[in-house]
Amino acid sequence: MFIRSVAHDTTLDAFREEVRAFCEEEMPAEMRLKRTSGQHIEKAEYDLWLKRLGSKGWLTGKWPKEHGGLGWSPAHFLAFCEELGRAGSPPVPPFGTTMAGPVIYTFGTEEQKKQHLPAIMKNDAWWCQGYSEPGAGSDLASLKTKAVRDGDDYVVNGQKIWTSLAHWADWMFCLVRTSTEGKKQQGISFLLIDMKTPGITVRPIIAITLGHHLNEVFFDNVRVPASNLIGEEGKGWTYAKFLLANERVGNVDIAKFEHYLEELKKLLAVTKEGGRPLSEDPAFKRRVAELEVGLAGVKALMADQLAAEREQGGAPTMMGAAALKLRGTELQQGILQGLVDVLGRHGMVYQTDALAPGWNGEPIGPEGSAALVYEHLYRRAATIYGGSSEIQKNIIAKGSLGL
Amino acid sequence: MASFASEERQLLHESLHDFLSDRYAFEHQLKLARSEDGCGFGRAEWGQYAEMGWLGVALPESVGGADGGMTELAIVLAAGGHYLALEPLVATLVMGAGAVAEMGSPEQVAKLSDVANGKLILAFCHAEPDAGYARDHVMATAMPDGDGYVLSGSKSFTLHAHAADALIVTGRIGGSSGPVGLFVVPREAPGVVVNRAPALDGRLGAAVTFEGVQLGGDARLGGKDAADGLAVVERLIDRGALAVCAESVGAMAAVTEQTLAYLKTREQFGQALSQFQVLQHRVVDMSVATEEARAMVHAALQAVDDGGPDARHAIWKAKVQTARAARFVGGQSVQLHGGMGMTDELAIGHYYKRLSMNEALFGDAEWYLKQLAADVAA
Repeated sequence: MFIRSVAHDTTLDAFREEVRAFCEEEMPAEMRLKRTSGQHIEKAEYDLWLKRLGSKGWLTGKWPKEHGGLGWSPAHFLAFCEELGRAGSPPVPPFGTTMAGPVIYTFGTEEQKKQHLPAIMKNDAWWCQGYSEPGAGSDLASLKTKAVRDGDDYVVNGQKIWTSLAHWADWMFCLVRTSTEGKKQQGISFLLIDMKTPGITVRPIIAITLGHHLNEVFFDNVRVPASNLIGEEGKGWTYAKFLLANERVGNVDIAKFEHYLEELKKLLAVTKEGGRPLSEDPAFKRRVAELEVGLAGVKALMADQLAAEREQGGAPTMMGAAALKLRGTELQQGILQGLVDVLGRHGMVYQTDALAPGWNGEPIGPEGSAALVYEHLYRRAATIYGGSSEIQKNIIAKGSLGL
Repeated sequence: MASFASEERQLLHESLHDFLSDRYAFEHQLKLARSEDGCGFGRAEWGQYAEMGWLGVALPESVGGADGGMTELAIVLAAGGHYLALEPLVATLVMGAGAVAEMGSPEQVAKLSDVANGKLILAFCHAEPDAGYARDHVMATAMPDGDGYVLSGSKSFTLHAHAADALIVTGRIGGSSGPVGLFVVPREAPGVVVNRAPALDGRLGAAVTFEGVQLGGDARLGGKDAADGLAVVERLIDRGALAVCAESVGAMAAVTEQTLAYLKTREQFGQALSQFQVLQHRVVDMSVATEEARAMVHAALQAVDDGGPDARHAIWKAKVQTARAARFVGGQSVQLHGGMGMTDELAIGHYYKRLSMNEALFGDAEWYLKQLAADVAA
């Protein structure tokens, strides 16, 4: 009860300024414009920017120094992500930097570390996450993609789904079934797969946003060197759990929530009803106040997590992470819904053409509307990905309430 | 106007579902929505609706209609919502035909026979960029010019305006403080600038600007002595709100059914999702919300057809509740389908987007609540 300090950490203010200045000087102008217009960022320009961040060691700042990182605390890492977001940068993709990388340096061999860690630090390799399957969503442990040992290789057959950026990825970290004996978790292994291996097919999945970032990945007798196995056979679930708490906190991008709340206030000021700006409407003022309360709640939960991490030496608690993900994603959807409700006054258009680079058409409604609608539709998945809200509640029920 | 007997309504409902379940499967809907011709709905289907008598269900017998009321029309709209029909039912039958029926001269009303037979598609362009959901904010003007008028102004995005044969457009006669006139404007008339765009749910429409469009005297509904059209506009928009509620009830019923079926077949953790009580209660909540909305929409339809003074409030209350139900049912249908609900391939996301649009069309829940609050006795 109110034991730890949740005071704002001012020791990071200079670092924040450093990140801001770097973004100001080094971030390509077109990329910053795209953040506002919502236009899709191409792989080449994203890669260029990530490499620049990599040149400062910032892609992997959170890694321990012994593995080439800068040894950032969770608060330091959060500050970095926040300042990037505020500067209009797209997020650093997590798959190599906060997922595959940490598993490799924690559980991998020296060979594997040498092969992969430097490339992740410089963004010389793009990664994707092979976890979910059509029959294994919330019940991930029931996954069926098989890896059968054959000489020096594993032969992989099966299918992964919801694989973000598989169409850009050079490598996949993949949960595969190496045994059907015993509990389902005990038969899972963690395998690194080169996306250029013959037998891999990537098929795009178009989302309700009408955009493409998700994919299905099919494995047809794909030969993967056994030296790509991380750690021991059957320990894959343990390595995966090691990552999960990180993923949950990472899904709550508070700087982004603040940005969208600011966008809501701006939109209210430029949208009129009966000739008067909606920012004068008491119902909308109250709505904004409600969202500000929600934001304060999520920030407080995050500060609490960071305080706990300072004490416990670097990992978020499963409990705190679950509550944060649950409330954070609900708030996120609430802010975006507010935006869309205002856009309803302009006729609820979704000019998807405006999201393609180089669009020259005439926008209907305020500039950047298409980007806001895109984000609203995309984040209907926020309460589904990274462990659905229902699963987060199960985690809290079992882990905290002993139910 | 003569309400149908229950048996006739039942027949109407069944014939709609028989037809649409057979000819408007989701794969077909998607093809129509995204076809190359760019109109975004089925012209052939529109002709079939005409043949079946559905376009004229609420039009007078004198123009080839069945003389039904709002309730009969709502049965058609609910069926449309159930199958995510793309055709301009609300735009033409409720808004366009409604405007003509209320304000038109006998000659203008006679043209409704072309609505009944499928030859005439209409859209109603009234809302303007700075109006929001307020109904009386009209800046477009119709300046008298001899016997005719010159129409100028910008209208907000309107579904189906890109494909309508004629647009019913409001403008203040003589200047910014003049009475509101309603004008029938051929979409392809010189000076009509159509900025076509997709709506949130993928249907097409347009923001239309009128740049000195020359209109004859016969373009004004009711002629030069017509009364100020604002009261008619208010009634039309209320009906539009009720109409999209009827569509939403159909869509909510469909998506709740589909979600229930999914829960029964999808297995995780060794059992069907429908075995988990949390999820059972969630789909029950969806079902109850749909039922309550349906009942309130029905009550409002009855009030409209009875012509009583309470019809307006009944519509507003139905809109508040149906919009809230639509938000919940649509959102939960995606949530309960997990990742699948987020795909373009499955119908669920499309229902979610249609329900989202219908929440906002002609005013959203908050706006109607505000109107009701203003009318609460001190």
